[in-house]
Amino acid sequence: MTQYSRAAIACLLCTTALIPKVQAGEKFRVCADPLHPPYSTKELTGYENKIAALFARQLGQEIEYTWLPERIGFIRNTLKAETDDGGYKCDVVMGVPAGYDLTETTKPYFHSTYVLLIAKGRGWDDISAPSQLANLPLQRQESLKIAMFDRGPGTEWLQQNGLLDQGVPYQSMTGDSEHNVAMQIEQDLRKGIIDMVILWGPMAGYVQAQSPKDSYIALPMTSAPGIKFEFSIAMGVRQGDNDRKQQLNTLIEQNLTEIQKIVASYGIPILPIPEQPSRQDDD
Amino acid sequence: MKPVKNWLLASTIATIIATPAVSNANSDVEKLTENPANWATWGGDYAGTRYSKLSQINTQNVKNLQPAWSFSTGVLRGHEGGPLVVNGVLYVHTPFPNTVYAIDQKTQSVIWEYTPTMDADVTIPVMCCDTVNRGLAYGDGKIFLQQSDTVLTALDAKTGKRVWSVQNGDPKLGMTNTNAPLVVKDKVLTGISGGEFGVRGFLAAYDIKTGQLAWKGYSMGPDKDTLIKPGKSTTWQDGKVTPLGPDSSTSTWKGDQWKIGGGTTWGWYSYDPKLNLVYYGSGNPSTWNPVQRPGDNKWSMSLWARDADTGEVKWVYQMTPHDEWDYDGINETVLVDQEVKGKMHKTIVHFDRNGVGYTLDRETGELLVAETFDKSVNWLTHVDMKTGRPQVVPEFSTEHNGEDVNTVGTCPAALGAKNQQPVSYSPQTGLFYISGNHLCMEYEPFEVSYTAGQPYVGATLNMMPAGADAITGKKDGTTNLGQFTAWDAKTGKIVWSNKEQFSVWSGSVATAGGVVFYGTLEGYLKAVDAKTGKELYKFKTPSGIIGNVNTWEFNGKQYVGVLSGIGGWAGIGIAAGLDNGDSSSNTEGLGAVGAYRSLNSYTKLGGTLTVFALPN
Repeated sequence: MTQYSRAAIACLLCTTALIPKVQAGEKFRVCADPLHPPYSTKELTGYENKIAALFARQLGQEIEYTWLPERIGFIRNTLKAETDDGGYKCDVVMGVPAGYDLTETTKPYFHSTYVLLIAKGRGWDDISAPSQLANLPLQRQESLKIAMFDRGPGTEWLQQNGLLDQGVPYQSMTGDSEHNVAMQIEQDLRKGIIDMVILWGPMAGYVQAQSPKDSYIALPMTSAPGIKFEFSIAMGVRQGDNDRKQQLNTLIEQNLTEIQKIVASYGIPILPIPEQPSRQDDD
Repeated sequence: MKPVKNWLLASTIATIIATPAVSNANSDVEKLTENPANWATWGGDYAGTRYSKLSQINTQNVKNLQPAWSFSTGVLRGHEGGPLVVNGVLYVHTPFPNTVYAIDQKTQSVIWEYTPTMDADVTIPVMCCDTVNRGLAYGDGKIFLQQSDTVLTALDAKTGKRVWSVQNGDPKLGMTNTNAPLVVKDKVLTGISGGEFGVRGFLAAYDIKTGQLAWKGYSMGPDKDTLIKPGKSTTWQDGKVTPLGPDSSTSTWKGDQWKIGGGTTWGWYSYDPKLNLVYYGSGNPSTWNPVQRPGDNKWSMSLWARDADTGEVKWVYQMTPHDEWDYDGINETVLVDQEVKGKMHKTIVHFDRNGVGYTLDRETGELLVAETFDKSVNWLTHVDMKTGRPQVVPEFSTEHNGEDVNTVGTCPAALGAKNQQPVSYSPQTGLFYISGNHLCMEYEPFEVSYTAGQPYVGATLNMMPAGADAITGKKDGTTNLGQFTAWDAKTGKIVWSNKEQFSVWSGSVATAGGVVFYGTLEGYLKAVDAKTGKELYKFKTPSGIIGNVNTWEFNGKQYVGVLSGIGGWAGIGIAAGLDNGDSSSNTEGLGAVGAYRSLNSYTKLGGTLTVFALPN
């Protein structure tokens, strides 16, 4: 485990760059999904791959990936999975929501929101606010083909606005090792199986990036009582892995502009990071 | 359903051994189960009673029981189910990679072994709660293995050679299998797991000779999918057996939600040859957030009776409409003829995760008895016998409480007052023996969840000891997490109940010797007096027991055998290295870890079959 000098810790609040020293031979070990655009891919084309590379470069470390599809049990089988030598398979999950309770989370490095994506040229080009969908004349409403996941705020919104009957069901996670959910949604939007979807910002960015510019109307969703659409994204480490958390926090602070540039380059809507509620870690 | 891969098709052609031309495998299985030397199906018999006529081991001499031999499966993780014994040969299975061993009891050596080819990278990530397998089925000279990757395989029981395989589900959609198959007549029945992924459950029947699909009945969807015949199939309603109208399932869902509606079928199946009906339970509805799926969500959480030849629904009864607690309805259904309220009935008895012990007429689906079998259960006041619906206590409804309130002290916890470990029934005492959990739970809303890259507000689940007397329901600050209970299903009354430190996650067996055997999570095989519950014997096996205790006879000697090997939901903290020893990991594994934390000091991983007998 990395030891920090007092100076480094004292300097967490000062502006000069001071990256903690690492022990020789230590690797930057990331737990990631091999097929999860835009987050991560085995070909290292995801924005999380890019941020990991940036950090490893600054630390002078080699990156080592442990690959596993990111579904139920992901944290259990990667970050928290012990190896035969008493260590763990990997040390960092590059993207988890701030305050996620299966890991300790770092400072957030970007804040985004769900987006209502509407394929243009399907008869919905007049929609300029999500609320319009709820107030359409019945006949028009009945011709809606909107994706509906088996969980998440988009479904909650459909339910609150009486649109569940128009939902085309999708699984939030599948067992498909050749397509992730974003890829499936992108394909089905293209094929016309669905015309619109309420999708988390990074995935919405991915869908738009696969088509010529302006193929979609993208309307950010706004949180309302009982429905939260905006989330801050942080990195996840094992509970109690405080040195690593500090190290990542320092790196996030020092590279925030660069990190957000990477994220934005994927067409992901970025909002100002709000103050984080302090989590009670003793509950 | 995706087309079956070529190698699967190619394999269905050649049968190596000449099998007698019996079109009726059930007569074969039935005959085998009539001889107590065999343990030929998961439940010991088609009725699922897990009762043995053997009496060599009895209440007087069971104290002298000792291990006779043991066998390491070579696999870590959770070992559910138990060994089959057919015509002197013992067949035992393992969790993933689903190896099957045929063992010669004389020499205790391996006759053959078979390990299917499965892609661990595909299968393991889609298995929610450890990689269990609940055992094998025998019939028509074959051993049937339901692999984790949904492939159903028939093996020649003599040689272990593969006779045929068929793809029962699509792992790409999150489908897996954990259940034991059941051979009925000329068919093999199996179900499907994967409720966490929104998999739509079904029961499927395959031709025993070829693996061809004969019929498939879904838990939800249009009548042509559920095989419900409107006007003919019935349910319990308004105090009487009532024919179902059209679209009884889809009318209780919004739009197309039923397509990812859950209702998986990963439990145990039983069969009544005289009525020619197959019985089982269906699991919880997806999505997990009940607010997002208004309606009763039929036919999740239901008991089913289907025609064995066609799959057509005779009757169906929903126990927990619009589930908010994850009270999966898949537990076993035991078929016993008994007198209820002065009238003889062919009954079906089922102890649900929701804490209620149900007795129904298995011919008609008439609801006869519905009472809680652990009095700490508090989410309902009672089951309304006229409507068949539970009367929910608003305080324990997450939906009623809304998203700004913790729902605390709901009993039972999500893993149920009883999970999948099957009960036993003794015709000597007329009682059922229930391996139970004794936990409650709290839901903390406003916790941020993350599924495959999508963040959302979910709820965190924590479990804790019930802290109340299982017999009276009085709060008493006790910390035991399990109960072993004797139950009268004729009246719905607890006869006796023993506290267990941890959940009892092992299926029991009752014998004509007046003894009931079960295993504990610390690893003890225990024998108790069927009449009183008095403990008569215990022995610590190498690891925690989540397998079922089975009994059989070989060369004139009665044997009792059980798989140990901690894991499954209760042991997932141990099996998957989840527990980092601080409270922050309490909610991993759906909240099972915190409550089971101290288990780690009692038992470690490792699969072993331990076989017991009286000394020579």
